[in-house]
Formats: sequence, C-alpha cells, structure tokens
Amino acid sequence: MNYIINKRNNFYKISAAVFMLLIGVGNFSCKKIDDVASTRLATEETNWKTLEDAKANLLSVYGLLRSATVADNGHWVLGDLRQGDFTITNRADLKAVVNGQLNASYPVINRLTNWRRFYAAINAASLFVERSKEILALDPRYTKLNNDVDVAQARMLRGFAYFYMSRIWGDVPLLTSSHDGEFIKLARTSQQKVLAYATNEVLASAKVVPFRYGGTDPIMPGLYYGADWPSWNGIVFTRLSAYIILAHIAAWQGNYIDAANYSKFVLDNQSTQYFVDGANPLDYIDMLALTENQNNYSPFAYKRANLMVGFPFEAGNGLSTANGHIEQLTLASPFIPKSMPEMFVPKDTILKAFPNAADLRFSIDVVTKQYRTNYFYNFQSERPIFNKVKVIYPSNTSGNVTLFSSSMVFSRMEEITLLRAEALAALGQKEDAFNALNRACNLRGISFSPTTTPDLMAAIFAERRRELMGEGWRWYDIIRYNRIKNSNGVFAVKNGQQMTFKQFEQAGGIYWPVSQDVITANSSITQNPYWQ
Amino acid sequence: MVKIYTSVSFTLFLSIFGLQSLYANKTWHKTSDKSYFVFQQDTTKSKKDSSIYSIKTDTIGQMVKALQRFKTGRDTINIRSSAPVPNLSLQQIIKGNLAGVYVQEPNGEPGTEQSIIVQGASGLLFTKRDIYALQPAVYLNGVPLVQDNPFAFDVQKYDYNRIGPATNLLSQINIENVQSITVVKDPFELAKLGPNAANGAIYITTKNARAGLKDISLNSYFGYVTPPNVNTVNGVYENNFRKPFYQKYATAENYDGYASYLRDSTNTAYYGPSNWNDLYYKNTPTFSADLGITGGSDRANFRFFGSGTKNAGNADDTKINRYNLFFGINMAPFKWLTVSSVVNAVRLDRFRNKSLRDRFAETRYIPDLSSPLSPNAAIYSGFLTENDKNVDNNRSSILNGNLTLSAKVNKVILSTSLIFDYNEGSRDYFTPSTLMDGVSYISNYFGYSQRLIMNNEASYKYTIDKKNTIDFEVGQSLQGDTYKYNYARAYNGPNDYVKLNLVNGNSATGGYLNTLSSGGFYVFRYIDKEKNNLMSIYGSAKYSYNNIFELSAILRRDGSSNGQPDSRWVTTPAFNANFNLKEQFFKTSTTFDKLNISAGWGRSIRIFLDDRYAAGPQYRSENGWFEEPTIPGYGGRLGINRPYDSGFIGYGITLPYADRTNLTIDASFFNNRLNAAVTAYNRDDKNQIIGIPVPFETGYGLTHKTGMNINNKGLELMLNGLVISKPNGINWNTSVNLNYNKNELKALPEGLTEVINGDNKLVVGKPVGSFWLYTNNGIYGSNGEVPAGRTFNGIPLKAGDPNWVDYNNDNRIDSKDKVLTGDRLPKFIGGWNNTLAYKGFDLNFNLIFALGQKAMNQYESTRYGFINREAGNDINSVKEVSSWQTFDNEKTYPIYNPWSDVDAYRVDQDLFLENASYMKLRSVTIGYDFGKTTLFKKSGNFRRAYLYATAMNVFTVTNFSGADPELVNYNGYYDGANLTIPRTFVLGFKLDL
Repeated sequence: MNYIINKRNNFYKISAAVFMLLIGVGNFSCKKIDDVASTRLATEETNWKTLEDAKANLLSVYGLLRSATVADNGHWVLGDLRQGDFTITNRADLKAVVNGQLNASYPVINRLTNWRRFYAAINAASLFVERSKEILALDPRYTKLNNDVDVAQARMLRGFAYFYMSRIWGDVPLLTSSHDGEFIKLARTSQQKVLAYATNEVLASAKVVPFRYGGTDPIMPGLYYGADWPSWNGIVFTRLSAYIILAHIAAWQGNYIDAANYSKFVLDNQSTQYFVDGANPLDYIDMLALTENQNNYSPFAYKRANLMVGFPFEAGNGLSTANGHIEQLTLASPFIPKSMPEMFVPKDTILKAFPNAADLRFSIDVVTKQYRTNYFYNFQSERPIFNKVKVIYPSNTSGNVTLFSSSMVFSRMEEITLLRAEALAALGQKEDAFNALNRACNLRGISFSPTTTPDLMAAIFAERRRELMGEGWRWYDIIRYNRIKNSNGVFAVKNGQQMTFKQFEQAGGIYWPVSQDVITANSSITQNPYWQ
Repeated sequence: MVKIYTSVSFTLFLSIFGLQSLYANKTWHKTSDKSYFVFQQDTTKSKKDSSIYSIKTDTIGQMVKALQRFKTGRDTINIRSSAPVPNLSLQQIIKGNLAGVYVQEPNGEPGTEQSIIVQGASGLLFTKRDIYALQPAVYLNGVPLVQDNPFAFDVQKYDYNRIGPATNLLSQINIENVQSITVVKDPFELAKLGPNAANGAIYITTKNARAGLKDISLNSYFGYVTPPNVNTVNGVYENNFRKPFYQKYATAENYDGYASYLRDSTNTAYYGPSNWNDLYYKNTPTFSADLGITGGSDRANFRFFGSGTKNAGNADDTKINRYNLFFGINMAPFKWLTVSSVVNAVRLDRFRNKSLRDRFAETRYIPDLSSPLSPNAAIYSGFLTENDKNVDNNRSSILNGNLTLSAKVNKVILSTSLIFDYNEGSRDYFTPSTLMDGVSYISNYFGYSQRLIMNNEASYKYTIDKKNTIDFEVGQSLQGDTYKYNYARAYNGPNDYVKLNLVNGNSATGGYLNTLSSGGFYVFRYIDKEKNNLMSIYGSAKYSYNNIFELSAILRRDGSSNGQPDSRWVTTPAFNANFNLKEQFFKTSTTFDKLNISAGWGRSIRIFLDDRYAAGPQYRSENGWFEEPTIPGYGGRLGINRPYDSGFIGYGITLPYADRTNLTIDASFFNNRLNAAVTAYNRDDKNQIIGIPVPFETGYGLTHKTGMNINNKGLELMLNGLVISKPNGINWNTSVNLNYNKNELKALPEGLTEVINGDNKLVVGKPVGSFWLYTNNGIYGSNGEVPAGRTFNGIPLKAGDPNWVDYNNDNRIDSKDKVLTGDRLPKFIGGWNNTLAYKGFDLNFNLIFALGQKAMNQYESTRYGFINREAGNDINSVKEVSSWQTFDNEKTYPIYNPWSDVDAYRVDQDLFLENASYMKLRSVTIGYDFGKTTLFKKSGNFRRAYLYATAMNVFTVTNFSGADPELVNYNGYYDGANLTIPRTFVLGFKLDL
C-alpha cells in the first residue's frame, strides 16, 4: 500500500514538473511564433531584390496601363462613340456618350471618367524608375543594360499614359515621381506642359530601348528575362513603339514636322522586325489578318510584331476576358450566342464611309454578288453586325464562349503610315502623302490619285475612318481633322447654342468631364469648364 | 508549429499513462510523503464542501468550470423550450432569445450564412466582408470555433456568396446535445477570453459525461416545410406594368427597343399560364433523429451523442443534411488529476439553389439575358431538367474538441488543455452548356480553416481569514490559425458528359497540371493561404469579502502575428466589482430574494482577419479592373504592384481595441418567482482601420488608416416570471428580453469628420449603418415645374424626372444633396417566451421582434428601372423565375421617365427606403409528457416520454413591402433573390431513459 501511495506521489510531482515545463516551453517560443511571413504579398523586405522582382514590377506597369485603357471597354467607348459611326441598340449609358451627354449618371460613365486607373500605371512606372536600380547591387544577374532598358520602358509607358489621358481630359495633374506613401494634392497642369513632359520621357526612352528584345539587336543582344524575341514581340514596347507614340503626341499638338520625322523613322526601320530572330514579321496586313485572325500577322488575335503599340490578351496565358474588348459591344449572333449587339454601324453610315466598289473591307463581291462580310455581317438587316474584330476564345472568329482575346491595338503599320500621310499632307508634301496613303490601303483593293482625290486630307481621314474603325481612333481623328480644316460650320450644340469646332474646342468640349469622385477626393481639381 | 503541438500532446499522454513506472524511486517518495497527505486532506474536505474548489470529480474540466464562470442565468437560452423547435443553426436558436444579440437570417435557404451581432455593430456594414469582422467568437466546450476567412473575396467579382460550400458552419450545433448557450458580454469575462472575443462571445456547453447517472435519450421529429402563398403573374401583368411608362414617355425608338420576350402576346412561354410555383415551392420533409448515452462511474465516465438531420427549404429544392458525432470522456486516474476530452465531428452536405444570379455570380459569366425564364411550369420544367445535369456537391467536414488535464497540487490547480478546430469545405460545381448559351462550366474548391490552441492555467486560492479570500490565476495560451483554399474555375468542356476537370498530376512532365480532357477546359486557378498566430499571457486576482463584495482584476498581454512588428504586443486590463446588496442591506427583507449590483470595465484588443496590415507597404498582384478583378499579370508572367485597387497600407498601423463598461443590477422578488435584470453598457471600438480616400492622382483610391472609433451604448432589460404557479394546476412562465442599442461613429482617422466609401458615407456623430440617399420629393410633371437651370450631376432635369431635394440650394443636385438617413441595424430587439403548463401538458410560444431598422428595396428599384436593367445585361439584369409574382403589400411608385439619363429609379434615393421592422411568432409548441402517465410509470424506466408538435415561423407583422423583412442582405439591400424562410410543422418525441 505504502509503495503504491509513494508511487502515486512521485507521479504527481513529476506531472507538476511537466506542467511547469510546458508553461515554460510556451514562453520560450513566443517571439518566433509571432513572426509569420505572409505568402500572399511582397513587402519592402522582399521586393526589389532580384531579377525576377524587376520583371514582375515592370510587367505590372504594362498590365496596369492595359487595364487603364480597356477597363469598361473604355478605349472604344471613349474613342469610337462620340460623333462616331456606331448606333447604340439599347444601352442608355452608351447612348449618352454618343449624344455627347458625357456627364450622364451611369456607373460605367462614372468609372470611365475617373482617371485613377491611369495614375496607378503612372505611379507604378515612377516607382520602378526610382526603385529598380536597388536590384543592381543585390543581384548580379541584373545588368546595368537590362536596368536601363527596363527604366526606359517604364518612362515610355509613363509618357504614353500621360498622352493617352491628355487626349481624354486635356489638362491633367502632372506627377513625375511616385511620392510613395504620401498623398499629395496637385491641381491640373496645362496640357502643353503635360505633353512636353510626355515627349521628353518617350524621347529619352527611345534612345535606350532596343528594336527587339531577346534577339540579336546589337543594342541589347541575348535573351531578355530568359525569353527570346518571338516570345516578347507584341508584348513589350520597342524603339518603334516609342517613335509611334512620339509621332502621335506631335500630331496631337499640330506639330506635323516632328510627326512626319518620327513616323518616317518608324517606317524606315520596319526591317528591324522584318523576318528576324525567328519571329513573324512586322508588315502591312491583308484582309485575312485584319478580319479573319490569320495566324502570322493578325495583331488582334495574337501577340505579333504587328502589335506595334498595344496590349495583348492572349488566351493561352489565361487572359481571355468578357470585358475590355470591342467584341463585347459589337458582336452578336451568329458569331456569339447573343441576340442583339450593343452597338452597330447603320447602313447609311456604312454606305457613306465605303464609297469605293473595290474596297475589300466593304463592297459587293464581284464573284458572289454578295456584300462582303469582313467588316459588316448581314448588311441588309436592320442592325448589321460590325465583325471586323472577332477574337473569340481562344482565337476563333465565332464560338460560344463569350470571352474574348483581342488585343488593344493602338497602332499598327497601316495606322502609323496613315499618320505619316496626314503629316505629309499637312506639310504640303502631297506626292509623298499620296504614296503613304496608297501604301496603307494597298491591301484593301483601293488607291488614290491626285486627279480623283481633290481633298487629300479628307481622303486620308476617310481612309483612317475605314481602316481603323472600331480601334478607338474616330473621336481623336475628328478632332485633328477639324483642327486642320478649321471650318466655320456648326460642330456641336450646347444648350441650344450652336458652336463651331473652334468654339467647341476652346470651351473644352472636346474633353471629357472628370468624375465627381475625383474632385471630391482632391479639391484642387476643377471640373472641365464645358461640363461645369 | 505542428511539431510543438504534437510533442506537447504526446508529453501529456505520456504523463498520464507512461510515467508511473518510470519514476518509482526512493528519493522521491521519501521527501514527498508530507505533501501527499496534506493533499489527501484537501480532497476529503472538498468532498464535504464541493463548492470550495472548482474541480469536482464528477464535473471535470474546462467546460464546467467555464459554466461556473458565467454564473448568471439571465444571458442563456431556455434550452427546454428551444429543443422542440426544428432550428438548424445556432443563429436560429438564439434569434430573439438572447439579450443584446441581433441575428440576421437573410436567406431561408437552409445552411446559408447568417450573422450574429452582439450589442451593436463594431465596424462597417457595407460589404459581405465587413460582416465577417463583426461576428462574435463562438465557443463550443471551450473551443473558439474558427470561421471561414473572408480573404476568398479577394478573387471574387461578386460577393453574394463566398466561393466554396459557403455553408454556415454554426449549423453544426445540435440543440439536443446542448447543455447551455450563454452570451458573454461582461467586460471582465470577455477580457479573460481574450482577443478572439473582441465582438463578444457565445459560449456553448454541450451535455457531457456525468458520474452516477446512466441515461439514454432518444429524440426525433418529422415534419414538413410548406410552400408560401404566391400570387403569380405572367407577361400580361408585366406588359400592363410597362404600359404607362411607354404611353407617357416613349419615343418611336424606345418602342423599337421593347423587350423582345414581351412583344408577342401569343407566345405561351410568357403569356401562358403562370404556374412556375408548383415546381418551385414544394412541401418538403424535414426530419431528425438523435441518440445520447451517458454513463460511467465517479472516476471515469463518458457521453456519446449521434444525430442525423435533414433540414429543407420550401423553395428550389434546397436542403442540408447534417450528421453529428460527439464523444466526451472524463477520467480521474488519481484523485488529484482529472483528464477530460471531447471530440465533436460534423458533416454538412448542402444542396443549393438553382437561381440564375447565384450561378452567374459563381461562373462570372453572363450569357444573353434578353429572354428570362418562363413563368410557365411546362417550360420551366425543361430548365429544371437541364439543371439535373448539374453537379453541385457542397460538403463541410468539421472536427473539433479538446483535451484537458487538471491537477490539484496543494492549493494550486494546474490545468492544461489542447484545443483544436479543423474544418474543411469542398465544392464541386458543374453546369452544362445548355444552361449557359453553349458553354459548360466547372469549378472545384477545396479549403480549410484550422485552429490549434494550447492553454495553460494555474490558479491558487489564498484564504486570509474566514471572511477574506483571494483567488489568483495565471495563464498562457498559444493559438495558431491557418486558412487555405485552392479554387479553379474552368469553361467550355468538350461536352456535357465530362463533368470533371482532370489534370495531369505528374509534376515531372511538361504538361503538369494541364487539363487532360481532349478539347480541354479554359481554366483559371486561384490559391491562397494565410496564417495567424496569437500568443497570450495573463494574470488575474479576485478578492472576496464574505459573500458580499467581490473585486476582480485581470491583466493580459497579447501578441498577434497580424499586427505590425512594432505594435503587435498589447497589454490590456479589465476590472469587475460585485456588490451583494441583499446581503449587506436587506438581509431581512422579504421583498428581495436577491439583489446584486455589478460593474465592470475592460479592454480587449481586436486582431485583424487579414495579414496584409502586418506587412506595411506592400506589393500585390492587382492588375485588373472593376469588371475583371483577377487579372494576374501581363504577357503570361506574374506582375506585382502596389495595391492601387485595395488601397495603400503604410506603417504605424496599430491594433484596434474595444473598451467596454458595464453596469448590471439584478434582483429576485417574491420567493424567486420574478427575476429582473437591467444592464447598461457602453462600448467603444477604437483605433479601427478604415480606408480613407486619397487624391486619385496618386494612383490609389484609398489609404488604410487606424483611428476610427465606433460607440455602442444600450440598455438591456430582462424579466423572467413565474406568473401563475399552482402545483396541480396551471403554471405560466414568461420571460421577456428587450434591448435598446444606439450606434454612433465617434471619430475617423486624421480628424476627418466624414468619409465617402463607395455608395456610402460615414459621418461622425451618425450611426455607421446609415444610408446615404437623395431625398425624393415627387415628380416634375412638366418642364415648367423644373426650377430654371436645375441639373442633376450636370444633366438638366426635365419633365418625368424625380424632384430631388436641393439641400444646399445651389440648383445642382449632386452628391452634396445626399443625406444620411435610416439605419441598417435595429434600435430595439428582443423576444418574449411563454410556457404554459398544466399537468403533463405544456404550451410554448415564442415571439421575436426587431424594430427601427431600414432597408433599401432594390428589388422594386430594378423592377421600375427595367429599361436600364434590361439594356445592361449584367448581374443586376438577371430576372429569376420567382420574380413572376406580386406581393400583397407592394408599394406603387411614381411613373418616372425610365429612359432619362438621370436614372430616375436609381436605388440611392429615399423613395426605396423602407421600414423593415418586424415582429414574428417564431414558434408554437404543444406537448404532453407521457412519462408520468400510468402507461410508462409501470415500466419505471422512463424519466420522460414527451410528445410534441411545433409550428415555426407562424406569422409576421410588418409594414415591409417585400416578401419578408428578414430577407434583407447584410448591406441593407433587399434584392428579392433570397429564398423565403419557410413555415415548418413538425411532430416529435423525446424519450429519456
């Protein structure tokens, strides 16, 4: 008995000791236990350390700018609707845009008029410019050249973003550094200064970035982030991209001398991306590539060198989306299962825009005696379907999956060639202008000559309207055209008051209002006077 | 982490079973004789007066100790009257029956998520995510149950349902196995529970092993949920509804855009009989059976409980199956040591609705919506047949429990417990191409939440003299939470027979994780994981003076890994004082049987549900936009950037905390026949984090700052009376709880007085649940009535537009003219529970009410705004089959111009603000106990043989114009998409042997 009691007694002491020990053990480990590294994000301790960080942060700038341009189909709603060729079927918000009621109270319009999405890309670019050089010291794989090229791209994107915004809102606040972690309030800067800044940025960048990444370009030979040129073309901005952006900024400013020079540089250097390094070549595209997703050339369906300035949405990378493509607005049955398109080009407009019976984009096919369907399907119906761009998952021209993979195409060979034609025409170099115009529409079955084309400038813009229909250009083309023509006709009517283009522009009518949310968040932002 | 726990628990087991033989040496027993006998004496003493020590041989361990902690009966559920009501979830059980607890049941679909708010909202109420942060901790046998983490909403476009099974995990509570449900609101007790309980706590103790009593209980019920009465309509009604709009405002172009499905009045799909309700609403059986066995001796005893329940909704063939298994065991291997353990396993299989909105929200894919579902049963049945091809498996498996060791060493009681809760949810969803315009869809989800806790406690009672004693307690706990999910959604399978997205599982091959089916799926994958550790130490002391006065204090220090490194450790105190007035002043009084006053103050920190705040300035993959929120990168490569969408997070984010003050007076009168308690409380939830707007030119919409303070104060009144008590006649017991709460935003970060948060605005001095709305003052009948130059956000107002009040008289209606009005949360809540008994009969009825809350009738807003809704083809354009009906007290609204650019039927105007107050007869039960009849008395084995019938959700009194004022979403919007809460009738019995 005694033995048993003693044994128990021992056990109780031991257990008591174990208890105490446990309490102790808990306390020892406390500091460690409280440090849990998150697997869901990168912190200041983990970012800007390696080559991979540079890649991820740089590509995010592209990604953010892509989102900024296409969010809520903004590239097309902002570019193609105002006084454009499209008629809206039902959507009241889009109708308001077509009617120039840009301050109408709809969620989509409110989001589109909020410029935060562009500034997100600008801030990311600034941050990259400021921080990426930290990696140089930490990761020997990240070379000075690689960093220079990356920083140049970030600056180009920043400049492009400012230009893109300035076309929409005119004067916008100019932030040239990230102000990381502080939230400054800036007023609008004049468009002139903004565009000068954008020009500087892109010009500086143009001197650094190569014509090709990951290929044999002597500026930057060798793989770029481990990948070759076929894998990078159409994704990142090249030296040609820079000059295209520069040409557009210059044209927007009416500086056609620079526009002509920059666009000449682009066209002169087509060879840098023409059948080199195993990639599909940069070239003018035929009808199959323009409207039928031809594999080697279509800048819409694939990331190709032909996507000179723009952002791809490759299906293979999980980037097919419903929103962010013109298809969501324009396609319907039989291309996708949808009874009516949200917008369409009415018959009269089509006939007016495509007068030439030989035009491969729209005319009566001499063989079949039918209307060509490349641009417009079912022309004779009440609502012809604008099906020029139709990249349905993965890259089909029709299908049931209403996720689209078409790129946001800002510029391609035809576009920059037409811009050059415009610049040359503005400078009075008629012959070169005709050459450029005919080069651009060479594959469309039509051509222009001084005898049949009395108004060259009008012809160039008419060709832009046809060629770039549904690519987000129409409104900006109308502005440039009217600036050149400076006609005294009535351009717009506000509150019953008729306005010429000049009056309209001076009143700020060519620009969009900013969302009330923007003004609420920063009281030093003023509403565009036209929309007050 | 896991290693530590395993080794610790192994040591514990070893200490019980293995160590005896190891240490039987002489040195030990020689020196320890004395202490052993002292200890022996203590145990003998405790047998005489078992209340001195909280450990008793038959009621061992954490849970019962916990029960004693919450000594009052006033904050508990009347289990006896709740048990015969076929509630599925904890929330349903406590709704209206726990003082100060507001339960929202926004959906009658069984097993869907419900919300509990204790003594007012501590945070915002604008998104579903916000609601997660308001939930109290629910303790089951001392296990603080881990809830689903809202981080999954990061990858969701719509937040109607969380991805995965989205099953209400508190459906795991089976009332038949519950001993008590208590709401803990006392500052001192909450401080003891720690940061988990920052929003209050619900403490559930199950029936558990007891000594000396072998009992078996068998309970079962069977019944039906019944369909509601509906007034169905068809295209004729819809056509007539639209007519006045067209007559008044339509242009030829508007007529061209007339809804295509309504154009042809010979189309029987829309103009035929409207009898969809025959297929949609159904009488559905609901049943349950359970068995509980308790037995054992003084030194070792156990309880087993098992049950199976099928709970059904009355609409859309929704139901949930629940299986519970519970095992509890107590052992006292030595008189000074007790070991107790409970394990609770639950499985929940949920059968979800087939609503279009929920499907499109899951698939994030909106097909052409121009032809809605037909109200005709013959055609609607075709839709249901296609739905039979669906796969929709929703399974949640829950395992939780604890192992507690308690030892008494002289006057010191040591206890240690290992607590765990693991739940995993999986959902496999497939919908065929026939239901989505030729595109099939698959999604697979697997996720788990896991919580492991190690608690150690030591307590010591120091007796100064007969009158003065002090109880000391020190303790420490480690808690580790892990949340994880894998989710993949995939489109466009090869055909409707392939319902599985099988992938190549061989990581050595190139096509690793590529989908195997030929033709493939288009797959989007999401993976997320989050860990959060909490470590706490505390010490407390309680001084008692002669059963008259008690003063308690606790000081604790908690560290959370979700806090920023320089501020994650916080020290918080709490105090409580009890004064027994009866003992002191009215000792001889016959009026009072009991009169106590107690007051407390306490602070507890609140830990973030998200680990983002700990990281400070950070980079995430946020590359998308509003419509496409989850774009991972660019050019096929991952991108990382500052969180421009979700908002900047800087340094200097400190943990929020709650300060509570409480004053309670409770009394008993007339030989304890009347109990009353009044509590006044004041709670300040301080230093909370909120996104405040920054200039958008910085790229961000928000920066997250701490400094939001929210105050809730209120009054709770509880009365419990035995009104009639006749030993052989009628007995009537009634209890009322009435609670008033006032919520007020006290401060915002950086001294701001207002912050706009999307469609909501927060203003200091107003309730956080306020709506921010335009004031509607009728209609402009003609252009002449419009004040000259008046605009709405820049658009000139015209005839047919609403007359919104221009508060600032600038002739421009804009957001400056929106005012804060109404409150999403009620001012008064409560319930009234009555039991009438006559011999073996009893009758119980339970009324609950919530008064003063408002709701936005978004359903009517979209119905009247049909032009924009149908043109939009977005998630708000979805027309469910159940919308082919009218409601009795439907309101009529002015006929505005639905084509106007001002969006005349916009929801953010007080036109659609309604009073959502209600009172409900929640349940009526009538029963008879045959156990006392001669039939059963003879056999002698039956302690109780109770037969009962219950009716649930009998009627509602309300002015609300929708289907049910409870079916309002958490954000205060009624969208009519949620299923009705069914009226249920059951018959059941309870046998206790």
